[in-house]
Amino acid sequence: MGSVSQLFFDAASLGGIYALAALGIALIFGVMNLVNFAHGEYITFCVFALIIPSTDATAHLLLGRAPAIVLVPAILMVGGGLAVMSEALIFRRLRNATPVTMMIASFALGFVLRYALLAAYGGRPKAISLWPGLNTPVELLGASVPLLQLIVIGITVAILGVLFGLLKHTRLGLEMRAAAENFTMARMLGVKANRVITGAFAISGALAAAVALILVTQTGVADVRMGGPVMLVAFIATVIGGMGSLPGAVAAGFLLGAASVILQAFLPLEARPFRDAFLYSLVIGCLLLRPQGLFALSGAKPRV
Amino acid sequence: MHTHTQTRLRSYSTPLLLSLSLLALTVLAVGLGDKALARAMAEMLIRVTLVVALWIFVGNSGVISFGHAGYMCIGAYMSAWLTLKPTMKALLLPGLPDWLAQAQWPVFPAALAGGTLAAAVGLLSGAAILRLSGIAASIATFAFLAIVNTVYSNWEDVTGATSSVVGLPRYVDAWVALAWSVAAILVASLYANSGSGLALRATREDEVAAQSSGIDMYRHRLLSLVISAFFTGVAGALLGHFIGVLNPDSFYLGLTFIALAMLVVGGIGSLTGAVAGVVVLSVAIEVLVRLEQGFDLGDAHLAIPNGTQEIVIGMAMIVILILRPSGLTGGREWTLSRRLFQTKGRPKQA
Amino acid sequence: MSKLAIHDLTVRYGKLTALDDVSFTVQEGARVFISGPNGAGKSSLLKAIAGVATTAHGRIEMDGDILSGASPEAIARKGLSMVPEGREVFGQLSIEENLLIGTGIRRDKTAIAEDLQDIYSAFPILAERRHASAGALSGGQQQMLVIGRALMTNPKLMMIDEPSLGLAPKIVDQVYDTLVELQALKGLTLLIVEQSSARAARVGGRMILMRGGRIVGDGDAAVIGNEDSLRDAYFGNANHVKEVS
Repeated sequence: MGSVSQLFFDAASLGGIYALAALGIALIFGVMNLVNFAHGEYITFCVFALIIPSTDATAHLLLGRAPAIVLVPAILMVGGGLAVMSEALIFRRLRNATPVTMMIASFALGFVLRYALLAAYGGRPKAISLWPGLNTPVELLGASVPLLQLIVIGITVAILGVLFGLLKHTRLGLEMRAAAENFTMARMLGVKANRVITGAFAISGALAAAVALILVTQTGVADVRMGGPVMLVAFIATVIGGMGSLPGAVAAGFLLGAASVILQAFLPLEARPFRDAFLYSLVIGCLLLRPQGLFALSGAKPRV
Repeated sequence: MHTHTQTRLRSYSTPLLLSLSLLALTVLAVGLGDKALARAMAEMLIRVTLVVALWIFVGNSGVISFGHAGYMCIGAYMSAWLTLKPTMKALLLPGLPDWLAQAQWPVFPAALAGGTLAAAVGLLSGAAILRLSGIAASIATFAFLAIVNTVYSNWEDVTGATSSVVGLPRYVDAWVALAWSVAAILVASLYANSGSGLALRATREDEVAAQSSGIDMYRHRLLSLVISAFFTGVAGALLGHFIGVLNPDSFYLGLTFIALAMLVVGGIGSLTGAVAGVVVLSVAIEVLVRLEQGFDLGDAHLAIPNGTQEIVIGMAMIVILILRPSGLTGGREWTLSRRLFQTKGRPKQA
Repeated sequence: MSKLAIHDLTVRYGKLTALDDVSFTVQEGARVFISGPNGAGKSSLLKAIAGVATTAHGRIEMDGDILSGASPEAIARKGLSMVPEGREVFGQLSIEENLLIGTGIRRDKTAIAEDLQDIYSAFPILAERRHASAGALSGGQQQMLVIGRALMTNPKLMMIDEPSLGLAPKIVDQVYDTLVELQALKGLTLLIVEQSSARAARVGGRMILMRGGRIVGDGDAAVIGNEDSLRDAYFGNANHVKEVS
């Protein structure tokens, strides 16, 4: 019983991270057919925005020193701002380019960001302690769960709730959903392309920032390489969720989190280091059976 | 003369011109007697092999692959397994099967074996990945790269995991690399002008239309990937025997990025673009690396910060994508004709 | 002053010329049918006016404002609304959301609510199913929805590309009846691509006949719909074409 609920909490918190990241990627893909390979670096950038640039081994908090009530909105704005800036400087100029061209450009942007961080902070992972109190375990349903894990699950659900509320009940949300379905038609009805795309990037960047905060609190390190793997899983989630489908991305994110936790728990000890390889092979296998994605809507037109 | 024959001849002049230019560059670089220059030349020619191999798939299919560093890794380790001294293998890689642990192949068949294993993996992975449509397939190639990296970084007994494999015979110099890059260019050109290559390029513009016209896109993509993976694997073997040390992380995102950057800068649409991109960016990298190492100006030691190389190349790539999305060559081939550049027989637009 | 003025409009897709130096004007409150065989350039004309096809050269003016070169959203904001071929409903949005998407350009909240009620009383079926997703509607219902959706932007000029495509004749009657009613009610100028000249003649209005990217006839729909010029437009005896305007 204890271990089952433990597994559940692990799966839900890991899946939550994947779901948030996948949502950030799917949102942008939905409105402009861009597979944003810089998303992982948005996450990493937000982690490093917490600390003072230096190549020291230990991290000195910069933004991280601020109280949570200031820190959280500030870091969300850093993420959103970075994403909006990359759109204004780069992707706006590529709006008529093919999806392949945009994808390569985003890959290059991710690389530039990564090496900029490397130059400023050095390559060694740094210990960083943000809200250490959150890692105290609490007893719940027979499992010993770190408080943080519960908070992560709670926050993920809250963010998803807010985001879907935003999409469902605000003007911008309505325009985004319309644009995701048929951008040209939406524009012919007066929907401003720049507003929708900027909005999507802002939300996507803020989601990356949320992921960054969760990751850094959970792991206690800041590492230039930490965004990449999350982005990869999130990409895969968007593919199996049906490219551009937001509910699909979320569901697939949680599914991958669960699969990952289950593999970790049940793989023989010597095979555990290869967990991710099993996970990705499993995914490629799934896609063979359903190339359009596991959660693709039957009525959705192929966009790719 | 027939126009058709002329077109044929012209398209065969491309690999000839490219090979001769590389030969001239090699003669020049080696002839100057500067060791560092000769090594830089060899490294560039290995990259030519890699990027031309990448072009065989990406250039013809239009599907971006992030997975080629994986095929390179596979080829590199295969060649290392076959050529390392058995005593060394017993020490470093105790998990190798007996026949591999005892093997002591000459370097050339080992390189072929590296390419062949990469091609076989290309066939298997491609059979799965290429069932997906363009963008989804690209993401799956990224997952493939992660799979290869995870396996090679953790299979301690067989790959040495993250501790490097050392002691590879360092036989690769500029001439060996030249021979392989010329071979890659010839095969790339032959494939591009074959029925399969032409059919595949027709699908590049419009997947749906090409498929409805009866082209078996999947089969042609798979064939091009297998050929591409072979030369990528060989390029991996060459790199291993050039440096003498193998580490799975040298076949990961950094290499993927550089190879794609070269392809994009030169122009994905043409073989000439693939080669030109390597030459241009290799020179740029060389200059930037030297600047990063620093130089003495009077009493002061001046150096640009580490990482400038990647940042500059990344930005150059973005600028080129914005200003000249089809690369420096604009998708044209270098051919022998009155006009120096000739548009390649592109599929007519409907 | 004319509502819409097109001067020497040319549209090319690659080497293909879809519109070749087309000029005409439309008076305020007019109902203009554009007819002609497939490939005549009718859809390209509408797309160019709406700002979704790039014009090679030429000028498009509405109320003296130059539209050519502006973005589709800017053109929509100037009071031009387009109902494209194939309807293009937002299938995953609800019917009401489809109707409201175009109201982002308006500030008159009460008028928006009134307009919505007008649409709902013109098309009761939409009111009934306002919270259902638009993808579930039948073809005819979707056609009503997209006309309603375009009207909700409060346009001065509305363009409709083939409203009768794929619909049963009875439904087409309904669609046109409502259109004529709404046009009178709102004082709209209408530009309609309609393959069937008989239909255009019955509804009444002006007809512009196109072929091969050019205008080959222009006049009263009831007259021109039955003339030689129509046959010529379809079967290509361009020598007989005369200007009927």
